[in-house]
Amino acid sequence: MTRKQRRLMFIGSAGAVLAVALGLILFALNDQIVFFQSPSDIVTQSVPPGQRIRLGGLVEEGSVIRSDNAEVSFRVTDLENTVAVTYKGILPDLFREGQGVVTEGVINPSGVFVADSVLAKHDENYVPKEVADALKDQGHWQGGESAAN
Amino acid sequence: MVIEFGHYALVLAFALTLVQSVLPIWGALIKDERLMAVAPPVSVTLFVLVLLSFVALTGAYLNSDFSVLNVLENSHSAKPLLYKFTGVWGNHEGSMLLWVLILVFFGALVGAFGRNLPADLRAVTLSVQGWVSAGFILFLLATSNPFTRVANPPLEGADLNPILQDIGLAIHPPLLYVGYVGFSITFSFAVAALILGRTDAAWARWVRPWTLLAWGFLTLGIAMGSYWAYYELGWGGWWFWDPVENASFMPWLAGTALLHSAIVMEKREALKVWTVLLAIFTFSLSLLGTFLVRSGVLTSVHAFATDPARGVFILGLLCFFIGGSLTLYAWRASTLKQGGLFAPISREGGLVLNNLFLTAACAAVFVGTLYPLVLDAVTGEKISVGAPFFNLTFGPLMVPLLLALPFGPVLSWKRGDLAAACQRLYAAFGLALVLALVAFWAWGMEMVLAPLGVGLAVWVMAGSVSEIVTRVKFFEIGPKRGFARLVGLPGSAWGTAFAHFGIGVTVLGIVTASAFQEEHVRTMRPGDTVDLSGYEITFDGAAPRRGPNYTEEVGHFTIRQGGAMVTELDPSKRIYTARQMPTTEAAIHTVGFSQLYLSLGESRGDGAVDVRVYFKPFITLIWIGCVIMAFGAACSMADRRLRVGAPKPARKRPSAPVAAE
Amino acid sequence: MIFWILIAGLTAVAALSVLVPLSRTRRLPETVASQADEAVYREQLNAIETELERGLIDADTAEAARTEIARRLLAAHERVKAAPGASRPKTGLKLAQAVAVLALPAVTFGLYLLLGTPDLPDQPLHARLTAPAEGQSVDVLVARVERHLADNPEDGQGWAVVAPVYLSLGQPRASAKAYANAIRILGPKQEWLTDMGEALAIAEQGLVTAEAQRAFEQAVALEPSAVKPRFFLAIALGQEGRKVDAIAAWEALLDGADPTAAWVGAARQELARLTGETPNMTAPRGPSQEDIAAAADMSRDDQQAMIRGMVSGLAERLTTEGGSVEEWNRLIRAYMVLGDKAEAEKALASAQAAFAENQNDLSRIKDAARQLGLSGS
Repeated sequence: MTRKQRRLMFIGSAGAVLAVALGLILFALNDQIVFFQSPSDIVTQSVPPGQRIRLGGLVEEGSVIRSDNAEVSFRVTDLENTVAVTYKGILPDLFREGQGVVTEGVINPSGVFVADSVLAKHDENYVPKEVADALKDQGHWQGGESAAN
Repeated sequence: MVIEFGHYALVLAFALTLVQSVLPIWGALIKDERLMAVAPPVSVTLFVLVLLSFVALTGAYLNSDFSVLNVLENSHSAKPLLYKFTGVWGNHEGSMLLWVLILVFFGALVGAFGRNLPADLRAVTLSVQGWVSAGFILFLLATSNPFTRVANPPLEGADLNPILQDIGLAIHPPLLYVGYVGFSITFSFAVAALILGRTDAAWARWVRPWTLLAWGFLTLGIAMGSYWAYYELGWGGWWFWDPVENASFMPWLAGTALLHSAIVMEKREALKVWTVLLAIFTFSLSLLGTFLVRSGVLTSVHAFATDPARGVFILGLLCFFIGGSLTLYAWRASTLKQGGLFAPISREGGLVLNNLFLTAACAAVFVGTLYPLVLDAVTGEKISVGAPFFNLTFGPLMVPLLLALPFGPVLSWKRGDLAAACQRLYAAFGLALVLALVAFWAWGMEMVLAPLGVGLAVWVMAGSVSEIVTRVKFFEIGPKRGFARLVGLPGSAWGTAFAHFGIGVTVLGIVTASAFQEEHVRTMRPGDTVDLSGYEITFDGAAPRRGPNYTEEVGHFTIRQGGAMVTELDPSKRIYTARQMPTTEAAIHTVGFSQLYLSLGESRGDGAVDVRVYFKPFITLIWIGCVIMAFGAACSMADRRLRVGAPKPARKRPSAPVAAE
Repeated sequence: MIFWILIAGLTAVAALSVLVPLSRTRRLPETVASQADEAVYREQLNAIETELERGLIDADTAEAARTEIARRLLAAHERVKAAPGASRPKTGLKLAQAVAVLALPAVTFGLYLLLGTPDLPDQPLHARLTAPAEGQSVDVLVARVERHLADNPEDGQGWAVVAPVYLSLGQPRASAKAYANAIRILGPKQEWLTDMGEALAIAEQGLVTAEAQRAFEQAVALEPSAVKPRFFLAIALGQEGRKVDAIAAWEALLDGADPTAAWVGAARQELARLTGETPNMTAPRGPSQEDIAAAADMSRDDQQAMIRGMVSGLAERLTTEGGSVEEWNRLIRAYMVLGDKAEAEKALASAQAAFAENQNDLSRIKDAARQLGLSGS
């Protein structure tokens, strides 16, 4: 093999690996990313049941109902619209009524959001960034920058 | 006074970094060895100065001196002594000071122990390290000064974020930073090589111990962080593909690639251009991680409270160092000479393959971490890229790498013999195959991937063992001489074997803990029992308890197996008084390599409580594997050949040439 | 002074670490670049010999590797020879020395004076708490007693000392708790019981709760002639709406009392209110209809003055006697209306301090403040 052939082969194999990697990344980006939606997005845009999404907003005051076997249901609101959520599992330490929350899961055919993970940040003043932005869009954000950090 | 002394020392350190940035490199360019000779003592002085200011800040924490704003905001007089100490780096300013301390520490190491280096290379490297130090000390002083004072301080501080009040925090950030920041020195070496126009085998040899040191600590730091998140956050997960975790993982991947490509450069003077680029990339990714964590573009459990001015400042530093080094690279790389030739099937070929896959994997993590940020900035659309993305991209890229891994060390340089290599590995392959089949038979056919994963892990582990065994020709020369040769093996050979074995161990832990984990979430009343993986877990009741700066509700559980008591576990739910912040304290029982993991959820009144119970088979292997990898790095560093050129033995040599003009 | 000497010393050490290597006259062997390279390549040659010995590589490979390394060795030699000899320019050295002696201290001192606070001494908590009591703020003294009591919770006298201080700091609940501890440890005393009852009542905006009432009753039982507990018990009867009993209680209290005593006026007023059916007194006090009507007739300046007078009156009352959330909010709003943001923030801070123990009230205060554009801490 000449030097040139070797070099071509080297570049060729490198290109092949990178092409595979790129393909994987693009495929995964198409398929595996989860969009963040506010309750208003869900109500107005009718997300198809079964598609994974992240739902963020505030936990509506007085909406948390705990049933046996670590099941819990609550409503998430952006102060315009609300979406009912059910979740089975341990809620994070900072899950509280009136506080920001991000849940991930799918909407079932009856319009209830079935979450398989619930996130609330480890900081008492925390409103997740996505939620804060969404609330700002809705014009309900009054906390200003001081509360967003 | 002590505090102001520390503050002054930090300001003096900044002024001295400016001297360090200019004089030695100027000396190297005009060949004045007196100017070059400034670099080593100044680098040591710099370390002492920053150490003084770090000690002053630590003293303020230990004495609860709330006249220091940083202490006021992050400490509390009732905090246990250990957490007063670790609290120094549990906040942005303090951890940045630790960052800088490690930065100048590496400079001082090169200054003190780099006598085997040519004077010009050492001077320029230390100058470049001086630029980085100057940038970050200025960042501290300008935007995040830990020595800001309060004239009439209150009598109590705001306390440290409770999830950071843990022994894990004592260890995790310093380890991680030694790794993260340690790559600054390889960066400085790379920039110095470009400036001086000398990238050769000797350069690669000199850089290797520094890369190994940083890599070993980064490995431990990541493992420690993972274990800390596992038991402290109470979710039972050990890796979340959280952007901040990725921020430390990307330099690890790039650093691993660098470690391997530098070997090729050292042995064959090939891949020079690529190795220098990797050294620049690795530290750039460290800087990127620092930017992501501290600028507030990310929201994460790890992220510090932030301020936009800091983000802009770090972004400036990031652009300056990455942009500057890449420009220099573009300008000088073309002058680097071609290196040695090699066939595709050879040790070099294997290492190139390793680099290809590691870089591709690093790129995948990079895209997954930054894509949501870019998309948000450009279109305002909010997405989350979670575990599924990384499992789909990172996973497939790792499989061929692990499959090929055992071949690397058994191939010879320049032109390898694949058939001979296979011959040396057939035992390892057989063992992996048998164990994979046993796994199939034991767990049934519905789990296809897990047994294959087990086979892959065993293949990597057995491969590294058989590499050592065949290398000393254990079976051909008999055990007695075999052992003698085993002892005589160079440290780097042991290093390779241990690091590769460690990878296999970690993979085995990941596969078994993810595939065969059992989990129950249940609301339990006192007296209730849950069965899990052969254990009967009985909830006996919960009771309140008081800690120094928290109160907690402790659940008491009795674990039995076949009626016989195994252990008692006390997970709890804490409320830290100063911040009124709840945390979950999981209780873990280790059986062999497996763990039983209990964490408490909400109390339901009437004594009932939500309980999450996991059985995680072989999970500790994940972290044990990392420790083995770091041990491998230590073995490799202990290789006496790395200290070659050290002047101490050279000076004793009577024939040492003196002052050749 | 010691501080300045110390930092001067530190600066000198830093400057010396630059100056000493600059003043070197002798050349050191380590500056010979080829030596370092050679050592590496020689070692690589040795490694090849070892590998050959062990049979890890064959003779051909070893030979090829040797040639390769030898070539590198030669190249290193060539490079060193080709390099220009070391220069020792004088000007550069002078400049570098000047940097060390002048620029380094100048930059450091300048920057430090800009950033640092050299006059501010260290203030370790332990020292602050054990320093002589004179000239210390009340907060420090209270914190000291608190720490002492946390370590010695059975020191009844300590609780008795801190209890009235809490009340004057506007922490009636803490005060009541301290009195309760003192009574538990040292036995009941009329004054303590009375003051505890008073603190409990203040905590509820003047409402004599059942708990407070019990305290007053115990005080009276200990000392039937004591005026203060009976005064509060009379108020309690009035608050309960037991008019006849209340009138009887007030009359009994006033019977034979020293007419110059401070409380007599208040008692008479209360009695008059109960008998004369004047409008109830439990509603928050504010300017009367007449006051407001009068305000309408006044000139703008006079109005401002009157409003200011009312506001400062309210402020004084709230800071000395305490008040409800509504009253505090009204005060904060009044300051904002008057355009006095600084005072509004001060009032907000004291309101938050006054309700620090009640999350619900605290959030009401914060909400109101946020609407006014103030940021509660």
